[in-house]
Amino acid sequence: MSVVRSEAMPAPAPDRNELQFVVLSNLQKDYPGVRALGGVSMDLRRGEVHALVGENGAGKSTLIRILSGDVQPDGGTMSVGGETVVFAGPLDARKHGIVTIFQELMIVPELSVAENIFLGNEPESLGLFYSRHSAERMAADILEMLAKGIGLRPSQRAGSLSTAQKQLIEIARALVLRAPVLVMDEPTAALSENEAVALRRLIVRLRSEGTSILYVSHRLDEVMEIADRVTVLRGGERIATSDIGAITNTSELLGLMIGRPIAQLFPPRNQDLGEVVFSASNLTRQGAFENVSFDVRAGEVIGFAGLVGAGRTEVMRAIFGADGLDSGEICKNGRVISIHNPRDAIASGIAYLPEDRKDQGLVLSMSGIENIVMASLESSGFAGFVSWKTVGRSAQSVADKLHFRGQLDAMAGTASGGNQQKLVIGKWVLTHADILIFDEPTRGIDVGAKAEVYRLIHRLASEGAAVILVSSELPELMNVCHRIYAMSGGRIFDEIPQEEFDEQRILAGAFAAHMAAKPATIDAGAL
Amino acid sequence: MVGTLESADKMSPAKGDRFKPLAFFKRYGREIGLPVIVVALTVLFAANSEVFLSLANFRNIGVSAAALAAVSFGQTFAILTAGLDLSVGSIVALVSIVGAIVMRDHGVPAGMIASLVTGASVGLVNGIVITRFKVFPFIATLAMMSIVSGLALSLSGGVAVTGVPASFSDLAYELVLGIPVPVIIALMVLLIAFVVLQYTVLGRRIYAVGGNEEAARLSGIQIGVVKVAAYVFSGMCAAVGSIILTARVASGQPSLGTTLPLESVAAVVLGGISLFGGRGSVVGVAFGVLFVSILSNGLNLLNVPSYTQMMVIGGALILAVALDQAFIGSRVGRRG
Repeated sequence: MSVVRSEAMPAPAPDRNELQFVVLSNLQKDYPGVRALGGVSMDLRRGEVHALVGENGAGKSTLIRILSGDVQPDGGTMSVGGETVVFAGPLDARKHGIVTIFQELMIVPELSVAENIFLGNEPESLGLFYSRHSAERMAADILEMLAKGIGLRPSQRAGSLSTAQKQLIEIARALVLRAPVLVMDEPTAALSENEAVALRRLIVRLRSEGTSILYVSHRLDEVMEIADRVTVLRGGERIATSDIGAITNTSELLGLMIGRPIAQLFPPRNQDLGEVVFSASNLTRQGAFENVSFDVRAGEVIGFAGLVGAGRTEVMRAIFGADGLDSGEICKNGRVISIHNPRDAIASGIAYLPEDRKDQGLVLSMSGIENIVMASLESSGFAGFVSWKTVGRSAQSVADKLHFRGQLDAMAGTASGGNQQKLVIGKWVLTHADILIFDEPTRGIDVGAKAEVYRLIHRLASEGAAVILVSSELPELMNVCHRIYAMSGGRIFDEIPQEEFDEQRILAGAFAAHMAAKPATIDAGAL
Repeated sequence: MVGTLESADKMSPAKGDRFKPLAFFKRYGREIGLPVIVVALTVLFAANSEVFLSLANFRNIGVSAAALAAVSFGQTFAILTAGLDLSVGSIVALVSIVGAIVMRDHGVPAGMIASLVTGASVGLVNGIVITRFKVFPFIATLAMMSIVSGLALSLSGGVAVTGVPASFSDLAYELVLGIPVPVIIALMVLLIAFVVLQYTVLGRRIYAVGGNEEAARLSGIQIGVVKVAAYVFSGMCAAVGSIILTARVASGQPSLGTTLPLESVAAVVLGGISLFGGRGSVVGVAFGVLFVSILSNGLNLLNVPSYTQMMVIGGALILAVALDQAFIGSRVGRRG
């Protein structure tokens, strides 16, 4: 680390209270029709991890975007290191040492790892030419410091990397800029458990070297683990700022976020299981997955654990007909069915909630109503005409059932993450599907909405649907599922019944392929 | 328990509802901007030309706008699917030749049917090339522009097809209830396009495919069918435009419609349809057409040479898109 930032970063002084490095006071931001921030003040000290929590719509995103220079506040002031600053754009924020790592990673896929790290800050030779050689050498140094032995080559094409590796590039970029302030927006949302552990370790190390980190996360256990202080936002107001030591448990944080104590996050499991209604046998696609077999009973929730890239999504997409299948058989209610495209799957009563709701689940420029009826529009009118009355009614009834709390006639892109997910779920509820595949349904949505998704899954199962849940969050799998399949490297390595649920065992299954192939990579925490 | 979290999703409404012009413009600019400009343009020309504000001149604008309108309404379909139809101009030329020949030999109704079938066929080929052979719409329709244009020239031998029945060519100047027939035809195309886009399954799927193709596919929508339908519609609308123009010149012309690709894209984009697909209304396109037509009519009356007009229309297109980007942008952010 010393190589890159020694001269830029003095060691943190002993009295951290005196070192309010970034101070935000009374920040306000209105969007047409909504108040996103109603006068929020907070500060960030040198060498601390300051967690920012709140439900979707609480104003976290707006605050981050103001800090990153992406949007300008309507009122209030900011200061960095005692100097009052006004950011006209993202470049200004960077100049003042604030680097933001957004959830959507800013990676240019066709460029190399090194080129991405030095994007906009390219090392030059003779003051004119881009020096690939020195860029790659410096990139190698930085990557070496960040995570040893992960085999990330500076000359590699960035598009071929995993999400976790891309995130590493963003962090490396911040290090190159010698940024004393790092803002991270849900950095672990797209990571598997082990990758998240490695990232947290890295954050702790950056803190010890004096970097101030504003850490936004929905994963409260994570916040409890690494944050020094936490600020809770709700409805555009700051509710509390507290030392993490003063918070006894995640429920207390949740209570602050929501404004009232939260009851149980996970509903009880459905006890009324029926026959096996869906089974897959020996599903194979070259290079993606092989010999995947599993079954689900009516009313049952089965889980798929695994690392990012274990082939879980690929299997589900193949079952749904979104991608091809080389061989294997899919049975529903004892009969073999053939599925060539999503249309066939929907006709067979199979639904798939894709892992990326913005890119694959919703048409953001269309209204909530239209998104809900998208898969069932044909049955809503006659002779190819749409009856908006009927459509509006059925969308409304589904939305009510799902406790959708946004505006149904507003564009889906304006709804909060939780509400967007409800729109996607609503779409499939309307098709009357009885085999429901949920791929990372709670990614990036807040705790309140998560609890509702779990209750919906529970309700669908209680009504006799078979549910397949792909998730990277172990607590979620262990509390929602009746059975868990652990996948690794495109194969199922373990099937674990509820009585035998055990974190170690699930992780062992999720890592099985890597254990066999190259045990060295696990050491590096899979980053 | 968790079911009562209203506060989180509905943020507190902004206090003090005083009128903020900039905020208002950002919110409603896309919808009302163009109509306001069209009215302003009308006032401007009316003040500078005595002839402009006359019934005869308005009929004139209507007749000259009608063909562009029909073509632009079709173009709207292609652009809504995040595509583009550059072949509309040569479709107009080919349809003009085919229509004139069939009309001359077999009568007006047969000629009309042949026109529509020709337009639809070219659209079908466009759609198949784009969806089956995965050729980008820009390249596919650019190539088809050349192919279809060549076809029109070889069919006609490069010269006009004469002998079109007078009963047909008179239509261009006939009035029904004081409104020129071409205007009525254009309004009918507008009505059909509006109904198809707003009230049919196909129409909504065009928006869905243009808005997010992958989400549409995963919702069981047959992307290929929807796109082909959009290009067929575009081809048929171009055929209607061609019928209007052919009637006006009373002959089949192989060089008809060369400016239509630019003008129709201009009208569609000015009318607020996103080039990335899935957003905008065909009613806005009608205003886009009015804008282009009134602009060139007014400039004519002010004796601005037609070469200068070309520059003005191109400049207006760039200006409109630049304004859109600078002040309104996308209201659906990717970041939450």
